[in-house]
Amino acid sequence: MKRILIVDDSFYMRTMLKNMLTDAGYEIVGEAPNGQTALELARETKPDLITLDVILPDNTGLDVLKGIKAEQPDMKVVIVSAVGQEVIVNEALEYGALSYIVKPFSEEKVLEVVSQALKEA
Amino acid sequence: MKSREEEYKEIFIAEALEYFDALNRHISDLEKRPQDEQILAEIFRLLHNLKANAKAIGYLNISDVSHKLETAFSLIRNKELSFSDEVVTVLFEGIDLLGELIHNIDNASYGDPDPVLLRNLDIIVDNLSDSTIELAKVQRYNTSKNLSLSELVYIQIKKLDHLLNLVGELVIDRDRIVSISRELENDELKNVSSHLNRITEDLQYSIMDARLVGIGSLFNKFPRIVRDIATAEGKDVDLTMAGHDIQIDRNILQIITDSLLHLVRNAITHGIEKPENRLKKGKPRNGSLSLIARNDRENVQIQLTDDGKGIDLTQVRKAIVERQLLPASTVEHLSDTEALSYLFEPGFSLAKEVTEFSGRGVGLDVVKNAVDSIGGRIRIESQKGKGTTFILQLPTSIAVKGALLFEVDEIFYAIPLIHTEQVVALEVEELHEVGGVMVADIFGETITVVYLHELLNVKEQEMNLGDKTKLKGMVQNIIIVSYNNRKLGIIVDKLYRQQDIVVKPLSKPLDAVELYGGVTLLGSGKVCLVLDVPAITRYFISRKQVLAGEHNF
Repeated sequence: MKRILIVDDSFYMRTMLKNMLTDAGYEIVGEAPNGQTALELARETKPDLITLDVILPDNTGLDVLKGIKAEQPDMKVVIVSAVGQEVIVNEALEYGALSYIVKPFSEEKVLEVVSQALKEA
Repeated sequence: MKSREEEYKEIFIAEALEYFDALNRHISDLEKRPQDEQILAEIFRLLHNLKANAKAIGYLNISDVSHKLETAFSLIRNKELSFSDEVVTVLFEGIDLLGELIHNIDNASYGDPDPVLLRNLDIIVDNLSDSTIELAKVQRYNTSKNLSLSELVYIQIKKLDHLLNLVGELVIDRDRIVSISRELENDELKNVSSHLNRITEDLQYSIMDARLVGIGSLFNKFPRIVRDIATAEGKDVDLTMAGHDIQIDRNILQIITDSLLHLVRNAITHGIEKPENRLKKGKPRNGSLSLIARNDRENVQIQLTDDGKGIDLTQVRKAIVERQLLPASTVEHLSDTEALSYLFEPGFSLAKEVTEFSGRGVGLDVVKNAVDSIGGRIRIESQKGKGTTFILQLPTSIAVKGALLFEVDEIFYAIPLIHTEQVVALEVEELHEVGGVMVADIFGETITVVYLHELLNVKEQEMNLGDKTKLKGMVQNIIIVSYNNRKLGIIVDKLYRQQDIVVKPLSKPLDAVELYGGVTLLGSGKVCLVLDVPAITRYFISRKQVLAGEHNF
């Protein structure tokens, strides 16, 4: 079973993502509400994939992305963002994020993006 | 079961109110330090989340207003809009409006947001504030608004424990006062005491109620656990659950959590067969496990059923004899349920023969002890080849329990109702002496009957549990109790009433006496001993075995 780390500062968003992904048979290895925790959990749990919100309280999501990629260059990261964050999303894709999901998201979209990202080598 | 929608809604509201409070705090700070980048970033983040969450759940008013405010703050952040007095007023009003919308999510009669305010927000957002268009004065509908705090509080369970203990003490004093007021002919005292009676009862139930949680909070952990164990065992198990909404005291749920986990683990590891073996036996490939909670009178019943290989009763009977718990001749006549109850005997499970064949039993005595400790009951039903069911009967609440009061040798006793099956009156001639004990045929079942006076108040050397001549009177009041699938009739002198009692632990040196589970004070001020039914049953069985030994079994 594929293991996923969720990074989002909103408990509501984390809960939705967690339910959608768990229902689809993924294992959620951790939930991080901020950048610091995200980096620690990424290190400890070594997930197969990370969903990363781009607006976080301590770091910007981009700094977290760079931090994770610096430590684990092959880590698969999918960006979760809201409309209006296109600039950041584009930058994130340049830094190695595989794909992105726009809030509000549908279950189908989340599962499609996640399973696609997991398939990539 | 709480639907996912309801759960989402509760989480949304709780988080939205947090954001709202934080927004108010930050915008006040911002007024003092308008250039503070960090505060601006934080406000922006909060509004951003609120917008995204509201959009996801479908509260479009909230996401719309959040979006306008978010835009306004990003303009301020980019220095495209100045944080002037006029702007500040509109932003404050916008945040107030958000609070109002959040608070009125469930209020169907709440209309649309004030259009003037929305227009003012638009003006700011469209960066027209320094043009000739005036920001209209918003009707200050909320100058007298109340401060509102969250409707929910978190409370430490130990504070609730303390409250429950206090109310236990109060119930005892209440009973005492009610009893005194019956004796004294004083109308005023009677009025006050009957009021006190009602209030105390109300208080007691309110506190018990505050401690209740849905069993779902435990059940929801099982799908994952079952999957993990099944995967590790190379088995496929379908779990069905029901009764998530059933309410139970939080501490009781806590105490049985490990037991339930243990039973579930056992069911998958030892009960349910591997897929290939199941197919050979003509069973569906996937094993099925069901976990069902339901209300049963005052209690909560949890039933765990698997469709695995079941327990081989022949092996259980053999082990009972091998472990010298009962003579072979007795075991032959043991009913299936009675034989199964020996699985809960300490150490019984360690018998290798049993664990190999039935695979059950490892630590079942531990499960039994946990259930006993909260005054619950557990029993097993099993059919070889078909599966096994564990039935746990748990009290909804602790501390205060229903009990049956009676008298033996002019001393008051109580038996918790969870252990009482029924009360019967029998003529002495219906009691028969068999193997040194009395037995009676009660509703088609042969039940051992013990004269409590003989058991409790006669020296061990002189004790004769089979001697009918010691009974007083022709008609005997018998309380049928049951523990671990074994029924026992208890002859008492006088039966009283059912009553809620608060059981206090015994003080030394009485606590050396294992037959008592505690003590309670009656309204009359008299002490009443609470019988420990598990202990009495065990004690009686050991006595019976001594007697059986004397009779050359």
